[in-house]
Order: sequence, then C-alpha cells, then structure tokens
Amino acid sequence: MKKIILLFLAISTYLITPAQETFPINGTANKNHTVYAFMNAKIFVDADEIIENGTLIIKDGLIYAVGTKINIPQGAVIYDLKGKSIYPGLIDAYSSYGMPEAKKSFGGGTPQMESNNKGAYGWNQAIKSEIDAIKLFTKDSKTADEYRRLGFGTVLTFQKDGIVRGTGAVVTLDENRENELIVSEKAAALFSFDKGTSTQDYPSSLMGSIALLRQTYLDANWYKSDKTKKEINISLDAFNALQTLPQLFETTDKLNALRADKIGDEFKINYIMKGSGNEYQRLDEIKASNCKFILPLNFPLAYDVEDAYDANYVSLTDLKHWEMAPANPSAFEKYFIPFALTTSDLKDKKDFWKNLRKAISYGLSEKQALKSLTSIPAEMLNISDKLGKLKSGMIANFIITSGNLFDEKTIIYENWIQGNTYKLFDYNTVDIRGNYDFSYGPERVLHQLKIEGDLDKLKATMSTDTAKIPVNIIVSGYSVSISFNTKDPTGTIRLSGNISTAPLKMSGTGQTVDGGWMSWNATYSSEFMSVTKTDSTKKEKIKYGQVLYPFCAYGKQNDERDGFDKYINDFKTRYEAILIKHVTVWTNEAEGVLKNQDVYITEGHIVRIADDIGAPRLAFAKIIDGTGKHLTAGIIDEHSHIALASVNEGTQSSSAEVQMGDVINSEDINIYRQLSGGVTTSQLLHGSSNPIGGQSAIVKLRWGKSPEEMKFSKADGFIKFALGENVKQSNWGDANTIRFPQSRMGVEQVYYDAFTRAKEYDAKQKTFAALSDKAKLTATPFRRDLELEAIAEILNKKRFITCHSYVQSEINMLMHVADSMGFKVNTFTHILEGYKVADKMKAHGVGASSFSDWWAYKMEVKDAIPYNAAVLTKMGITTAINSDDAEMGRRLNQEAAKSIKYGGLSEEEALKLVTLNPAKLLHIDNRVGSIKVGKDADVVLWSDNPLSIYAKVEKTIIDGQIYFDNEEDAKMRVEIQKERARIIQKMLEEKKGGAPTQKPIMKRKQLFECDSMQEDYLEVR
Amino acid sequence: MRKLISFALLLLPIISNAQTKSVLIMNATAHIGNDSVIQNSIIGIKAGKIILVADTKNANFDKTSYDEVIDATGKHIYPGIIAPNSTLGLTEIESVRATNDFRETGTTLPNVRSLIAYNTDSKIIPTVRTNGILLAQITPRGGLVSGTSSIVVLDGWNWEDAAYKIDDGIHINWPTIQSRKFLDEDNIYPGPFEKNKDYIKQTEILKKLFADAKAYNETEIKEEKNLRFEAMKGLFSGTQTLFIHSNTVKEMVEAINFVKQNKIVKVAIVGGKESWMIADLLKQNTIAVVISRVHDLPTYPEDDVDLPYKLPYLLQKAGVLFCLNNEGDMEAMGARNLPFLAGTAAAYGLTKEQALKAITLNTAKILGIDKTTGSIELGKDATIFISTGDALDMKSNNVERAFVKGMNIDLNNDQKALYEKYKTKYGIK
Repeated sequence: MKKIILLFLAISTYLITPAQETFPINGTANKNHTVYAFMNAKIFVDADEIIENGTLIIKDGLIYAVGTKINIPQGAVIYDLKGKSIYPGLIDAYSSYGMPEAKKSFGGGTPQMESNNKGAYGWNQAIKSEIDAIKLFTKDSKTADEYRRLGFGTVLTFQKDGIVRGTGAVVTLDENRENELIVSEKAAALFSFDKGTSTQDYPSSLMGSIALLRQTYLDANWYKSDKTKKEINISLDAFNALQTLPQLFETTDKLNALRADKIGDEFKINYIMKGSGNEYQRLDEIKASNCKFILPLNFPLAYDVEDAYDANYVSLTDLKHWEMAPANPSAFEKYFIPFALTTSDLKDKKDFWKNLRKAISYGLSEKQALKSLTSIPAEMLNISDKLGKLKSGMIANFIITSGNLFDEKTIIYENWIQGNTYKLFDYNTVDIRGNYDFSYGPERVLHQLKIEGDLDKLKATMSTDTAKIPVNIIVSGYSVSISFNTKDPTGTIRLSGNISTAPLKMSGTGQTVDGGWMSWNATYSSEFMSVTKTDSTKKEKIKYGQVLYPFCAYGKQNDERDGFDKYINDFKTRYEAILIKHVTVWTNEAEGVLKNQDVYITEGHIVRIADDIGAPRLAFAKIIDGTGKHLTAGIIDEHSHIALASVNEGTQSSSAEVQMGDVINSEDINIYRQLSGGVTTSQLLHGSSNPIGGQSAIVKLRWGKSPEEMKFSKADGFIKFALGENVKQSNWGDANTIRFPQSRMGVEQVYYDAFTRAKEYDAKQKTFAALSDKAKLTATPFRRDLELEAIAEILNKKRFITCHSYVQSEINMLMHVADSMGFKVNTFTHILEGYKVADKMKAHGVGASSFSDWWAYKMEVKDAIPYNAAVLTKMGITTAINSDDAEMGRRLNQEAAKSIKYGGLSEEEALKLVTLNPAKLLHIDNRVGSIKVGKDADVVLWSDNPLSIYAKVEKTIIDGQIYFDNEEDAKMRVEIQKERARIIQKMLEEKKGGAPTQKPIMKRKQLFECDSMQEDYLEVR
Repeated sequence: MRKLISFALLLLPIISNAQTKSVLIMNATAHIGNDSVIQNSIIGIKAGKIILVADTKNANFDKTSYDEVIDATGKHIYPGIIAPNSTLGLTEIESVRATNDFRETGTTLPNVRSLIAYNTDSKIIPTVRTNGILLAQITPRGGLVSGTSSIVVLDGWNWEDAAYKIDDGIHINWPTIQSRKFLDEDNIYPGPFEKNKDYIKQTEILKKLFADAKAYNETEIKEEKNLRFEAMKGLFSGTQTLFIHSNTVKEMVEAINFVKQNKIVKVAIVGGKESWMIADLLKQNTIAVVISRVHDLPTYPEDDVDLPYKLPYLLQKAGVLFCLNNEGDMEAMGARNLPFLAGTAAAYGLTKEQALKAITLNTAKILGIDKTTGSIELGKDATIFISTGDALDMKSNNVERAFVKGMNIDLNNDQKALYEKYKTKYGIK
C-alpha cells in the first residue's frame, strides 16, 4: 500500500504542471484535468498479470494507478465495470496510417539510367532514407475509426515505398491535433526489396535490390568515416541516422526473409521481419535467423473448386497453403520465435478478428495473441515504457470489453486512446435476450417473442398460432424499438418503449399499419438458451496436412517432425549406405565402361567399386540390383536458369555486383524435373542482357533443402559475361537504343573500361590494406565497390568467366581483351561459332559449353552447326553440352548423344560432354563428374545405355542420398492426388457453409500459344 | 581453287534430277510404318512407286530389271517422316521479321494460303530432311482462323513442284478461357493469367463465321463473292480437314461441340496437351490429335513429371488416332528432331513401331494422304529413307539415302559443308 502511495505521489508531481501549448485558441480555453476511475473490472495489466476486481485510474491521458485497493481521488468520474474486462489498447507495428499514397509516374518506355529525385540525394531513386514519416503524417479519421473498432490504439506508420523507406513514427489513433498524437517520432527504419515508385531502371531484379542494399551499407559507412567529404549526400546522411533505430524489413515470401537475414548477418543487423504468412513452410531456417517477426493474418480464401477442370488450376501449394496458413502464428509460438501481429496485408481490416480467432483455433494461445498485439510490438518499437501494458505513468490506451477479448461473443464497448473515449457499443445496454409473453393493440392476443443472437446483433421472432414472424429489434440503453410485418392488413407494425429490469419487462406504445396508436408490452418468461454447445466441438484441435519440403508437389515430409510439435526419433526411412550390385559402370576414367560391377556408397562418397562386394554388416545399407542397368556420374548442367527468383539485372552494362546465390529458389518444381533426368549439379547463371552480368551460383539439386544448403560447398566463384545481340539490345525494340553498348564495337570498350577501373581499384585496395591499423585511421577511407571488387577477383584469379557468345569476331575480341588485361576466359557458353576459332580458343586455353543442335533463331546463330561440339572436342578443347532451358535440362543425355550422330564422337566422349567436362569447366572435377573412389556419390542409375533415347532415370543420387527414385515417384503421384482430393473436399465443405471463395486462376510459367520466346531469346539465349 | 569451287557447289541447295531411277533395296530391316517389320526385306521402286515389298526369303524378283541395287544389310529402312503443323519454309531466322511469313494480320483469315509463301530454298529444309523428314504440312499461325495449310514434299524447285496436297486444311486457334496478360503491373513480361474477358466474343466470331460460310456455300447463286467463305467450302464437303489448335480440356470440349453443330466432317485437334482427359469423347467423335511437342515440361507442378512423354501412350491405350508435331520454340529448325520425339514416346509406353507410326502412317491418315504415302506398302509413293541404325534414336539416326517419290535426294546441307570446311582447315577427322 505504501508503495502505491509513493508511486502515486511521484506520478502526481510529474503530472502536476499542466502541459503548455503553442497553438492559439479560438474562443475560451477548455482545460480539463478530470480523473476517471474504472472500477470492479478484470484488468489485464499485460498478458501475464491479471487483476480481478481491479481499479484503473487515468488522468490527463495517462494511467494514474492500477490495482485493487486504490483510493479514488475526490471528484473522479467513476465507471462501474462489474463483469467487464480492461485490456491494454492494441498496437499495430506495421501500417501506413495517415500517409499520403506514393504515386508512380510513367517512365515513358525509354531507359532511365539516373534518379529522378533531383537534389543532393543519393544516386538511386529507390533509396529513400531521407523520407520521414512524421513529416508526411496527417490524421485520417476514417481509417482511425476502422482501427479503433478492432481495439487498436496505436500504430507504427511509414511510407511503404522503396528499398530503403526512411523513418517510421508511432502515432496514436486519437483525434487530436497531429502534434499530440506522436508517441515516437523516430521509431523504426524501414526496408524492403521492392523499389516501389522508383522509375529508375536499376535495380530491375531481386538480386539487384539485394546488391544495391549491400552497396548502400558500404557507401554509408565510408561516407561517415570520410572526414574530408567532397560531397554532401542527404540520402547517406539519413541512412546513417537510421542505424540506431529498430530495423524493420518487409518480406513477401519465406525465402525473402532468409535473404534479408543474410544481408543482416553481413552488416551485423538483426532485422525485425515483416513476414508474409508462409514462414511455416521453412520454419527451421526462419528460427535460425534469430529474427523477430511481424506476422500478417491474411489467410487465403478457399478456391471455388466445384468444377473439376478449373480445380486443376489450383496448385497443391495453394491448396495446402489455404489449409495451413492459419497455423503460421501458432507454429511460431511452438518454435518460440517472438512475433507481433498486424492488420497489414488484410484486404479488409474487418477480417482481423475472424482470422485471429481462426489462428487461435489452429493452436495459437490467447496469451501469446495478446502479447503479440500489445507488449511485443511495444518492445519492438522501443515504446514499452509508454504502451503495451496498463501500468501507471503509461499512456492511457485501453479497451473495455464484455469479456475475454478473444471470445467470439465478446464485445468491445469502448476504446480509450490517450485518455479520450471512443464508444463502440453502449455497455449500459440491457441484455434483453430471452423469451417473452408479448401482446399489442386492443385485442391483446398473446404471442411468444423470442430474442436471441449476439448483443450487438439481436435476432428476434414472434410466434403466432399459425406462423413465425421475424422481428426487428433495436436496443439502446433502456430504450427499445420493435417492428414486424403483418399480413392482414399488410404492412409494418412499429412499436417503441422502455425496458425495466428486475423483473425484465418492456412496454410502450406504437403505430398500427393504418396509423392508429396502441400500447404493447412484453414480459420476460424464460431464459434465452444460447446455442453455444457447439463451441466444445469447435475447439477440437483442427487437423491439417504436413509441411512439404519444398512446399509443392513432389516435396517430401520431414519425417523427423510431427507437425510443428515434436521431434520423432524413429527414422525408419534412413539409410547410411547404398550398394548397387551387378551394374554397368561408366567411370569416365581410364577404366572406361566396366560391366557387372558393385558400387558401394557411404557418407556421401563413392567408397568402393569392385566385382563383388558383400552387403556391409555395420551400416544400414540399401541394396539396389543393377542387373542390366547403367550407372553414370550425375549430369552437370553448366548453363541453367532454373531455381532462381530472377535472372537478369540488365539495366546497366555491368552488374558484376549481383549474385545469383542471393536469389536461389529452392521451391522450383524444375529442380525435381531435372533430377528425373539425372541432373545432380547446375550452374545457375545470370542472363545475357549485359556485357558483364552477375555472379553465378553452383548448386547441387538437393531437392527439399534450403537455398543455402543447395550451394555446392567451396566451389570457385564464377561470373556471367555476354556478347552480341542481347547485350547490344538488337531485338529489344526501338525504345532500347540508349544504354551503352549498342554495337559489338561498344562491347569491347565496356570490357576495357571495366578491367581498367578494376585494376586501379585493386591497386588502391591493396595499398590501403597494407597500411597499419593506425595509419588506416588517418588515411582517406577506402570505399568498397562491389562491382569492381568482383571484376578485380577475375584479375586475381579468384573468379572465373562464363561468357555467352555466338559469332567468331566477338569470341576473338574477348580473348584479346583478356590477353591484354592479364586474365583468362574460363568458358565460352553457347559458342555456336566456336568451330570457326577452335584453334584460337585452344591457344587461349578456354573451354566451351554449347548447344547440341540449336540454330536459326536469330541472326547471330545462322552459321551454327550441330558438329560444333565434336569439332571442339577433337581440337582438344574441354567441351560441354548445356541446356539453358528447363525442358532440355532433363534430357541432356540425349543432347550429348547427338554428338555421336553429328561429328562421330564415341559414346564415352559424348557422355563426358554432360558430366566430366562441365565438372572441369566449373573446377569441381576433383569432386564430381566421374565414378571414382573418393569422389562425391553423385550418380545416376539408368534403365538402359544412358546415351540411348530409350534410357530412363531410375535413381538420382546426390551425396549418397537418393533424391529421385522412380518407384518413390510413382507413389508420390498417388499421394499428390489423394492430398489434393482431401483438401478439395474440405474447400467444398467451406463453400457449402457459405464462406466466400476465390476463382481458380492458372499460375503456369508458360503459355501454350504465345510468343514466349521474346524474353527467353533476348535475355537468356 | 578447285576446292573453293567444290565448296561453292556444296553451299547451293541441290535438287534432284527430275528423272527417277528404279531401285532395289536388299536385306534391310524394313519398318513398314503400319506396326509391322520385315527383318530381311526386299523393296523395289519403279517410276516413283513401291512395286515390291517382301521378305527376301519369299520374294521373286529380278535384280537386273533395276537401275540400281542397294545392299542395305544391317541397315534400316523407313517411310519418309511427315512433319504436320510446321512452319518450315515460312521462316528463316525467327528474330528477323523480314524472314517470317507464317503470320498474317487479322482475325479470321481462312483464305490466307501458306503454300505460295513456302520457300523451297530455305536453308533449314536440307538440315531437316537429312534426318528422314521428307514431307511437311506447311501451316500458318496466329489469329482465330490462321489460314489454309498445304502439304509438300521436302524436295522441289519451287512450291508448285513441292506441293503434295494443296489446301489440305484450315487451322483455327480456339480461344482460351484464361489468358495471360502481356505485362504485369510493373510492366514486366510476362503478366499473370486472368480470365479472358473476350472469350465469348471470340467464340461467337468463330460460330458466326462458320454458320455464314456454311450458308454461303449452300446457296447456289451468290450475290457477291466472299473469298473467306469460298476458302472454307471444303470443310463442309469433307475435302478439307479442320485443325483446331487447343490444349486445355474445357476449350477442347467446347470445340468438339462446335464441330458437331457445324457438321464438319474431318476434324483434328492440334496440341491437345490435356486430350488424355477426354480420350473417350475424342474416340466417340473420331477426332484425331496432332500431339504437341513431346519434349516439353508438364503444365502443372503436380502433373506426372513424364506426362508429355507418355501422352502418346495414353491416347494409344484409349484408341484415339494421333500423330506427333513439333510446334513451339524454334519449331522450323527443330523439325529435324521429330524422330526423337517418337523415340521418347517409345521409351514411355509405345512400342517402337507404334512410335514410328505416330510420325508416318498416322500422320498421313490425319492429313488425308495415307492412300499414297505414310508407309512402305505396294503402290504407294517411294518416299522412304535408309538409316544405318535405329532412326528414332539420336545416337544411331544416320540417314544414308533418301527418296522422294522415287527420286534420290541430296542429303548435303550448309551445316555439313561448314563442318567439312573446318575439318579441312584443322586437319581433323
């Protein structure tokens, strides 16, 4: 008690000086320091502390005291809240409340190389670090009302535009002058991968956005440390100022959250992620990010799947996501990942409570839900001293409810914000639900009136001898109005009156159809029986399917987990070794093709190849009969664009800074399809829209694993270059004649310029690196440039070139540039006129990765011949056949076999075109590309000679694990149909229940009869 | 200098002599095209026709009555492969607009004829026939009604010469219920799918065109001549085939109702990726399917990964008449891979002879030319080729000799010439 008094005094003194203000007053001043006391309520101080029968006192917009035995100051306005509850006002940590809409101006169709944001700002229009929400904020009563009705009192607001979005502010949803609504003027820094309204070309891709963000961090750091500033850069200054704030990153997919986290790790920032709602599909990785999340509740509508054909348009991913999305918050809770909840992303904010309750029915605890709407967002935004709980001294934001906030029946009566009340529903309204003896008019015939439904949505019916008539009934305080239709005479009878309690009675007067006045009354006869018995069945745990890795058809369940709950220790499907017996082995080594061999694989490696290996006793080995079958090294696709979120950052002639490794898409069905064609490793390349493209990613097709896990460990770095029609934009239409280069002449100069600058950069960097730590402090700081750094790596033999090329002149040119600038071209890819300069290529020591028989699709391939690979091979050049095409990628063995037909290579030579030779080109032949003891167990079991068109893949093994198995595949096809059918039935039920649905829409990548070549040709091939 | 001259000669497309010699081909494995195989065959060609097909053991023949006797021991002989629905000769370099003649502007163009644009001197054609493709249905693209196709042999001085069946069919592209927007909201190609708002309008255009054309052709005295309606006459009399290009099941069902209502006699679906779902309906209505490129990805992620590969087998099992085509990216130059599409179909369910039939006799039946070509049978055109190995498998497809209507055709092409030129330069074999 003493403590409370002391606290009281302290607060009193703090509050004793009334606030002063700057605004002149029109009329007389209206100062108000009333104390409000709310008594006898169940008070949720926060999710953990509940005061039964408590008192809350507020004054001047702040909480004065909370507790049980509190003296009410004299002159307080007292509210008796017996039977009611008080919760802290809800906080939405993600909104654009009161922000003007950022509008995109139409670019005009021609390239825009520079920012349209004129002034002393940074170079890129998508970096809007100088944007300050507080300067843009104007209150918006309509939107505020929507939020308030849901129980929110406070939001974080910012302008949703750009990659760096500047500063967000925390504001309340009160209706005062803006100056008084701001709780925190600099509450958070906002980021995303979406360049928003920026009309500047760069970045045009996800990896471009990532690279831009990286470079911005480096630039800002350099700018800060450079004391002898030669330039003032408002954007970088603002960016540096953002760094002390909570860092919020908006993501639109689970993989984007992992991508953002990777950037965070590089710059030692732990972002708070605005999630997208599908994080449950990769929750282990999400958990490992150690990030907090702000989760939306935008659960998808059921699809209208009544038409069996239309239902085909809905992918298994979408079906399952519909079923599982509401489990996302509870999955986070089970994984102990801290998260707030937001109304953001909801098409209609009114769905908030419905969806939140759905999440609760999927296992989210009410306690967690309350935290995620109060204390957690407050902590995230560093305002937990002011908001998120009901403690004295904090801002008086709270809601008064009829009961448990999360119960469907509960009504939010009032939302108090900064001590001002917003009445949503009058809690003095009498609960008149029940059965009544009802009579009206002179006849006084007795009817039965039944009033039921929700308090804010009463439903009533009147029973006469012959019929049941619906009755409209509206209650406000102690007033009631009733109306209903009669048949004889036809019309509406309207009654008004008063309610008296104990006993419950209603009476008054009303008008008949013809306008005559009459009296009426209704006397309470029996209790209203709420039909809430169904609630117990409703609360039954909702069942849903398992997460698939990846989350699409042919994904696999993680058999180590049961739902999001517990780990299982019984790994029935695990094997530690594979023994393939009596198989024909295409070794790709000096031994050639060996018949009737046994191959033993364990711990990810090929351990033994021999005539007869006994089944090992120690390891749990899977034994495969290879009689009549063929075993080859896994196919390696030197040139692929599968499994990528984006391909081209073609907005500048050099985009050496972008990394395909940043945008690996582990969820692409084409990974599985490539596995079904025996591919085990692919180089994922940037497109060919600019002379210097991006850095490649070499991946093993570990289907189901995360993007990072797919990467080929310790592989050398590669980079895509490109020549010819694509980079000079020959086929891009007349609007694209601005970006340099527009001719093969210009392409050469791009290279000379880039390598000249990279050399100078490298020298500077080395000089700076050689300085002592002390000297570094006083020296002019060195600006890291990720583009030049990547090019310098080529000069330092740490990065290697795969160059898209077609005609002999340009091939020759690049080799000349390389010779004079002191580097080597590692691989010419496509290289369809390679046969014309094979001698020069041989002299340069470059390899080739070609198509088997493509030609005639554009001018620069008119001299392409299918004998190219054979000529290059015969000239002693390391030659591969690649796909550049998700379809052909799964038939690379056939494409290799064409070199037997065209040019007469031997079968073994042909097979090497898609196995050992690409391994050599990618510098990974020490690990893969042949069947040799000690190498990675990346092998393929074929039904037939692998170069025959009749050969089918039976097993594709990577690191000793089977990733494609024709028998498993057959089973999965059945499982997929079963799973689809199960969810479709559920959706049909949902529709029958009256739930809104959405129309199925095709989501395929390619159209049947469309000129889809354009993009493929111009930017990839 | 002499070498240069010979190169120059090689670079010219070489067209065979008008004179046909009589040829006797002995001891080859003959793949007849109608499912049957004669292991040790004897095949006689005279005056451009096949006059003898038999097992060597049972045949009576006189070697001396032939101008040339070919010993094809260990080799294989096949009917010439037919490429239906092809743009061969209508395009040279796809990205160079000036070389493209397969698409006319307009919506309903039944009177637009591919034959007169067919370029017999296309550099692509010799690279295609080298793999055994000896006939093609030259087909226009685009619009709702693309135009009229014709069938040609892949040898000839000019299109008149090459013509095999003139104006054999009319091609329509059935509208799609869902269509793709060209650009997405950020103006990036390609945009998302959406409901095709014009679907009803587009199908109505087709329905009206056919109703009007039918009425026009039934009227004896025409007030004014209508070229479009005239061009469609054969559809109603049964001398022309209606080729409906469609891949999705709902649209195909509607298209089938459409042809029933219009009483069109001969109909084939082109594409038919989802035709396996309505195989019974197709069979009942005797509608054939010109199956879309077998070397394709499945449409939906949940489809069987080998669905395009096994589509021929699914139709075979259901008793639907079908053949294979190569429409799509790089279709003209890729026509040379038609035998390998059949090879893949054989790996995924068909027998090898059924697969062969899908690019020879079945194609001839669907195109209405099976009386004279499509198989190695008595009285048919001697349009055949000899391969040293299995022609459906790329590793063994090696065409040594080919005959078009009995004429021995040249199997050189520019690509071989360039190959020879650079082999000589480098001194490699």
